Amino acid sequence: MERERKMSREVIVCKDISKTFDTARGPVHVIDKVSLSVRENELLVLFGPGQCGKSTMINCMSGLEPVSSGSVEVSGRLVTKPGPDRGVVYQRMALFPWLTVMGNVEYGPKVRGVPKKERRERAQHYINLVGLDGFENSYPNQLSGGMQQRVGIARAYCNEPDVLFMDEPFGHLDAQTRYLMQEDLMKIWEKEKRTIVFVTNNIEEAVYLADRIIVMRNCPTSIKTEYEIKLPRPRDYVDPEFLRYREEISAVVDKAL
Amino acid sequence: MINRFHKGAKSYEKTICAAIAIFAFLCIWQLVVSFTKAGMVLAGPVETFAAFFKAIVSPIGTHTIEGHILWSLSRVLVGFVLGSLAGIVLGILMGWFRPISALFRPIFELLRPIPPIAWIPLSIVWFGLGESSKYFLIFYSAFCAVTMNAYSGVRSVDAELMGAAKMLGASNRQVFTSIVLPSCIPQIFAGLQIAVGTSWATVVAAEMVRSSEGVGWVIIKGQDSNSTVQILVGIVAIGIIGYILAVTMRAVEARLCRWSVRGK
Repeated sequence: MERERKMSREVIVCKDISKTFDTARGPVHVIDKVSLSVRENELLVLFGPGQCGKSTMINCMSGLEPVSSGSVEVSGRLVTKPGPDRGVVYQRMALFPWLTVMGNVEYGPKVRGVPKKERRERAQHYINLVGLDGFENSYPNQLSGGMQQRVGIARAYCNEPDVLFMDEPFGHLDAQTRYLMQEDLMKIWEKEKRTIVFVTNNIEEAVYLADRIIVMRNCPTSIKTEYEIKLPRPRDYVDPEFLRYREEISAVVDKAL
Repeated sequence: MINRFHKGAKSYEKTICAAIAIFAFLCIWQLVVSFTKAGMVLAGPVETFAAFFKAIVSPIGTHTIEGHILWSLSRVLVGFVLGSLAGIVLGILMGWFRPISALFRPIFELLRPIPPIAWIPLSIVWFGLGESSKYFLIFYSAFCAVTMNAYSGVRSVDAELMGAAKMLGASNRQVFTSIVLPSCIPQIFAGLQIAVGTSWATVVAAEMVRSSEGVGWVIIKGQDSNSTVQILVGIVAIGIIGYILAVTMRAVEARLCRWSVRGK
């Protein structure tokens, strides 16, 4: 009951957001009147083919890019610029290569003035959570792709934002590592629930992770349809119900060129 | 670990190859000098190195060879340190503030193709025959190389990293100090490497034009007294010190930029 009530609180509210880029070849309309809301501790997957502007969605929702029209609210506050109440995990990791794992994870609390002892403890907690204990003093270029993205996840978690945006975080990983990361992300999320908006173009990943999947249309991005995934966790990639969802969603997705 | 071992094995092979190549070069040099007419205008390696080691204890002119080297190095040190510091500051300012780059970049684009030694006559007119004109020349050569590198280092900072830092709560000032400055260190070092090379070349040229000590002076005095041995002693000294400077810079860079691909 408690969880049901909390789940119903809407943490992210997007109202009619549109985004147009002015380019040398004229304006390009990337997002077309998208309205959506994300409930507290929900894992929402934005799923769509190819380059359909999903990353731009994340940039607009996180405040990195201004919207052309419409509005985004996180925890009731209007999003206009980047801010630490929103965390982002990037496809290209975007780790600070001159900082160690510890340095990267504690970066957020550090720039926000959290005392050293406290932020070290907090960073250590999240480093342990993502399974990187023992690698605190390694530099990112000494780690594998999967481990680097664990640092990315720990860094975002450590800032304790209201919401986490994950922009195809496993897109650059090989298939085996990708499965492992999906499983581990679920374990992390089960241990420490957060509101997550996860972007992917991989349907299996979408069904494995999501509470709810929003299927996006291609260029300009708009909402096509959405699915609640009511499967128990941990999910099984070859469970008949899993495959049924997979098939059903595949059928409605635009084919990417 | 496997990687490191592999790298170690490679550098060991490299050292052997380098030793063989240098030894072969010295042998050919000696043979040419001993058995052809070139011996009349060129001293052999045995003679050259004997003279070099002799110069360590008995002075050429007023100083021993180490004395001359120290004179040249001191000129390089003053000019290089001041020029690099000024270059780093201006380059970073140019990279961070657009109006400053709009103002200074065209000037640097014009100055860049002019070799520092082209300024020797003017520097003597402006600063006289003493140390100041040499400091000026070396300052100039280090300054140009470092400024342009620091500038392009700041310009090429990964926008995604700056975005990530802002997202994590960094202010503009914090983005500058914690993202932009460390990001451009490898490129600044690339500039310092070039600067140390051109500074060393410039000091030799400046000393050859006008000085009473330094390795450039050793060479030009060798020419005056028709002593190819002395000229070669100067050249050997320049080569050795130039090599040591480059290796030192690389070692410092590798230490400071362990995290970067360049520093590896």
